[in-house]
Amino acid sequence: MKALRIVSLIVILSFLAAACTSATSTPEATTAPPASSLPDLGGKKIIVAVENAYPPFNSVDANGNGMGWDYDAFTEICKLLNCVPVFTEAAWDGIFEATAAGQYDVVADGVTITDERKQTVAFSDPFMSIIQVILMRADETRFTDSKGLTDQTDLTVATQLGTTNEAVAIELVGESRVKSFEAFDAPVLALLSGDADAVIIDEQAGLGFMEINVDKMKMLNITDQVPEDLGFVFPQGSDLIDPVNKALAVMETNGTLDTLYAKWWPQPAQ
Amino acid sequence: MTTATKKIGEGKLLPVTSNLEKWPWWALAIALAAVLIVFSILVSPIYQDAFNFIREGILTTIRVTVIAYALSLIGGLIVGLGRVSKNVIYYNLSTLYVEVMRGIPMLVIILYGAFVVVPLSLELINGLGNWLVRLAPLAGLGRTLQQVNIQQVDMSGRAIAGLAMGYAAFEAEVFRAGIQSIEKGQMEAARSLGMNYIQAMRYIILPQALRRVLPPLGNDLIAMLKDSSLISVLAVRDITQLGKLYRARSFRSFEAYNTMAFLYLSMTLSLSMLVKFIEGKMSRER
Repeated sequence: MKALRIVSLIVILSFLAAACTSATSTPEATTAPPASSLPDLGGKKIIVAVENAYPPFNSVDANGNGMGWDYDAFTEICKLLNCVPVFTEAAWDGIFEATAAGQYDVVADGVTITDERKQTVAFSDPFMSIIQVILMRADETRFTDSKGLTDQTDLTVATQLGTTNEAVAIELVGESRVKSFEAFDAPVLALLSGDADAVIIDEQAGLGFMEINVDKMKMLNITDQVPEDLGFVFPQGSDLIDPVNKALAVMETNGTLDTLYAKWWPQPAQ
Repeated sequence: MTTATKKIGEGKLLPVTSNLEKWPWWALAIALAAVLIVFSILVSPIYQDAFNFIREGILTTIRVTVIAYALSLIGGLIVGLGRVSKNVIYYNLSTLYVEVMRGIPMLVIILYGAFVVVPLSLELINGLGNWLVRLAPLAGLGRTLQQVNIQQVDMSGRAIAGLAMGYAAFEAEVFRAGIQSIEKGQMEAARSLGMNYIQAMRYIILPQALRRVLPPLGNDLIAMLKDSSLISVLAVRDITQLGKLYRARSFRSFEAYNTMAFLYLSMTLSLSMLVKFIEGKMSRER
């Protein structure tokens, strides 16, 4: 009856192992009293979904703890509104559906405000706008601007699935020439290995990849690009939208947003 | 005559008398690669960084695998008994489960469970609560059901459920094959000794069947360890998810993928050695 004993041992071990819990981090409750004009949420816990794979908005330090603009910004917002942010790691794929279903109270992931997404979820007022760039191999000679990329129909573009990078790429070269990957770094790997001829990516992430792959890639601006507005994502009809908008307005006026931007997007020394 | 007794992997390059050709050269190659990676982890600061970051996921990978495997064994036994049952309803329900689950890819099962089944069933539970509140005696239960919230069901639980439900179908077929491999006479003899069907299963058939299905069960454990990497799509911090986070923060894909592959390979290889050891022990016990 050794086998039965082994099976029961496995069952017991599994229940012991179940004691461990998943990765969520709760910063200590803020004690500062909220500014008088702002709504008071009364120390409410707010589940903030972050991807932790989208620096500098959110990523993890060497110990696996979350850090980034989203963490700082939402901690500031909660200081103003008297709430407690509970940052929860979530995968990008399905994050809007999960939010619409009530899984998360808010998504802080540098999300671009689009009309298409508004059909599923609601957005806060924009807090920042960013531009996207083209990455190409350093020895690329077939095109020198985004128009050249558009015109040569045999060139392909790699992006990350479900991002506005993908939307920009489709607008630029058409759906059939865009390869969308699930993983954050896969588009760049495809570019370096020759599977794709260009990558559309947010400027900051592009700079990060260029730093590691020295002399292998160069960066190109997209002609006539309209900067994209970023906002926090809420389930539709959420009662948090109005308070967060008011807090964002306060942070805009008192310079907190500028300070945070300077902290996470350090400008190169002239 | 030598050609007739030749086994896979034996060549003609060296004299038959040499022991060299019986060496497990493949194992040596793996050992060399492992030494190379361990050396890199010890010497290169980048590999060290990647390894220290990603190794936090080993526990999660093991925990998810062990729990999901245990659940799939229980589910598989229940469904497997249904596959050999003479009860029409039990047999058909089990077969339906096996055919549906085996036909859907693991990744789709996990995504479907997490993003469709869980939200829908919570809506159902809340709706049931709304209905029960209006019935006076059950109002208390109704209010409890109304308050069940999707935020209470965490992703790692959903991942484990998805893996367990998918693999239960495979284990069910393993158990069915094991039970059917026991000669009919065993059941007939047990029944003629006055045992009922359940007693005969419990004391005569299952102990023998379990011994026979141990190798495939062990293989499924290894397969599940590998498939557990799929739960990273739900952002559960296993080896694969931490590899993804490491790549995002450092932009170093090469080192991250090497470390991930090394961690999985060392786990699956030691597990398959363990399975072989247990198999050997079990066959000696007969």
